[in-house]
Amino acid sequence: MGEVYVEEFMSPGCVGCPAVREMLEEFSKELGDKLTVEEVDITVDTTRASQYAVMSVPAIAINGILKFVNVPKKEELKNAILEELERQE
Amino acid sequence: MLPDKKKRIGVFFCHCGKNIAGGLNIEALIESSKQIQEVSYVVDNKFSCSEDGQVDIQKAIQEQKLDRIVVVACSPSLHLMTFQRCGEKAGIEPQFVDLIDIRKWTMHGSPQKIAPEKALEKSKKLIELAVKRMRLKRLIPMAEIKTEQSALVIGGGVAGLEAGLDLADKGYKVHIVERLPTIGGKMALLYKVFPTNDCAPCILAPKTAYANIHPNITLLTNSEVKSMGGYIGSFHVKIVQNPRYIEADKCTGCGECVEKCPVKVKDDVFSAGMGQRKAVYIPYDQAIPKKAVIDAQNCLYFRKGVCRLCEKQCPTNAINFGQKPKTVEIKVGAIIVATGFDEYNPTEKSEYGYGRYNNVITQFQLARLLDIDGPTKGQLLRPSDGKEPKRIVMIQCVGSRDVSTNPYCSNICCMYALKHAQIIKEMVLPEAEIYICFIDMRTVGKGFEEYYSRTREIGINFIRARPSEVIQDTETKDLSLKVEDPEIGRLLKLEAGLVVLSCATIPSSGTEQLSKTLGIKLDKDGFFKEMHPKLRPVETNVRGIYICGSDQGPKDIPNAIVQAKAAASCADTELRKNKIKLPQFIVNASKLKKGGR
Repeated sequence: MGEVYVEEFMSPGCVGCPAVREMLEEFSKELGDKLTVEEVDITVDTTRASQYAVMSVPAIAINGILKFVNVPKKEELKNAILEELERQE
Repeated sequence: MLPDKKKRIGVFFCHCGKNIAGGLNIEALIESSKQIQEVSYVVDNKFSCSEDGQVDIQKAIQEQKLDRIVVVACSPSLHLMTFQRCGEKAGIEPQFVDLIDIRKWTMHGSPQKIAPEKALEKSKKLIELAVKRMRLKRLIPMAEIKTEQSALVIGGGVAGLEAGLDLADKGYKVHIVERLPTIGGKMALLYKVFPTNDCAPCILAPKTAYANIHPNITLLTNSEVKSMGGYIGSFHVKIVQNPRYIEADKCTGCGECVEKCPVKVKDDVFSAGMGQRKAVYIPYDQAIPKKAVIDAQNCLYFRKGVCRLCEKQCPTNAINFGQKPKTVEIKVGAIIVATGFDEYNPTEKSEYGYGRYNNVITQFQLARLLDIDGPTKGQLLRPSDGKEPKRIVMIQCVGSRDVSTNPYCSNICCMYALKHAQIIKEMVLPEAEIYICFIDMRTVGKGFEEYYSRTREIGINFIRARPSEVIQDTETKDLSLKVEDPEIGRLLKLEAGLVVLSCATIPSSGTEQLSKTLGIKLDKDGFFKEMHPKLRPVETNVRGIYICGSDQGPKDIPNAIVQAKAAASCADTELRKNKIKLPQFIVNASKLKKGGR
């Protein structure tokens, strides 16, 4: 079974971050255990943010690869997650 | 597609002496970690960062054929690189080494310390997440890029100049961007500097003059950074040069335009509001570059379409009212931010009457009045009536160490109050009585305590108290203050001709915007945030961007210089490699899927 680990880079007061959160919550319900989402506050975990060179939020890394900066379209984000799942199956 | 081969993940627990082991059941954590999918090896060590600890990790990687490891210990900002190097030595790709911090929940004195049971629960979850993250993590393709042999320094004050000169002397091309029409920053306006009472512009001049003629330095005054993109080794920066309305290459700095200009306005920048300048002006005699600049907001030609006296008078036809902002684009390998500080505006501390009473001024304003080349040519005269004050009271910690404004200590105010007291007593008004009302006298620095003792010896009076209020006599404009003196145990009423507020240093205006432009973080007080407060004090969250001087926190000149040199050294360390490896996605940012909004 494929699995996806999403690192959701955010910060307090970020305008676009709640939209990303909402999408990921919806996908989590849909995909269950296949999807793990970790919220990374870049004001707290600056090291992780700098490893990915995240300079603006929201940003999304999927299985260790930075895929999006800014707010992606819902379909784009879902496709990226599904692509990663298929890659492993 | 074929499934990824099974991973062999090692989990290494560090006791950190008693720092972790003293607040957590490590045995329980080891047992739970063994149950996590694809974890093949779990072990603990008293100090994982020690030589023995690292040898043990390397042995385990080789003997157990581990391909990914998670070290459960302390902050990644402190030790991630230690363990990445350790893993790399044993054959593990650094990207597959992770460090997670549980020590923050267990260590004595940690602000995040929690009860052992809670720490255990939270640690279990964090380890599960980290192992899963490592298990699913794909290798980020890396690209090798060539580093530009150049740097941008933002801010032309003493820290920026020092950093810029260091890099320029090492052979890099340096662009120094300064928002004002001259380099020199606040130091040029201080008159004298503690603890030597040297003339500030005189000791600054070798740096400003050298920066002006250095073959590797380009000065961009009257300019601001508008946008930045790229990455370490190849930052693309757009700089807007605001118009001087003077052709800089034609202007000789003769000052004839200034003499003829009929418009006088208050000079808020170079005289701190204590003097006037013309609508066309040269900031001060030692300004670099010594070129005039027209203040379009006050110039009669820009406001009403009349005058043009400067144009008629200029012997080199340098006036150009048609000048427009110009955008300069540069590519640099590193950026040093040295944007300095502003003095806190004490108007909101209404109890002291600043802004309502003319004879209440700030220390920075006092520095301009004491300057023999300043607006009053060094005469200390009361703003209300131009008379010499007989008694001067200084109030420390205005807007500093104050929860209602800024909780931090501004570091330099004690020393500059002592400096001004010495200058007044020894050089300007020897008969004047001077009182300094303070909470604590903080004179930490080489020669500073002796400077304080000397100030006491020459007859300056010290009262350990913060006055509650300043009241003005409406007729004489004299001021009175009530102070509880704990040393004699009674309420003192002080009359004063002049009250001087030792105000906090705050981040310079534009700091927040610049942090957004560069993507570097601010701390809770609005200063730029360093990567680690002790061990990486001039690095930021963006590799290749460094901070120095008072934009990182209040500090005096020697400390600003030390940081500037450190920032230049950090930039040099990266640039001299010529080539560096970066994740492919950073280099080829266009491959990132931009969002639809």
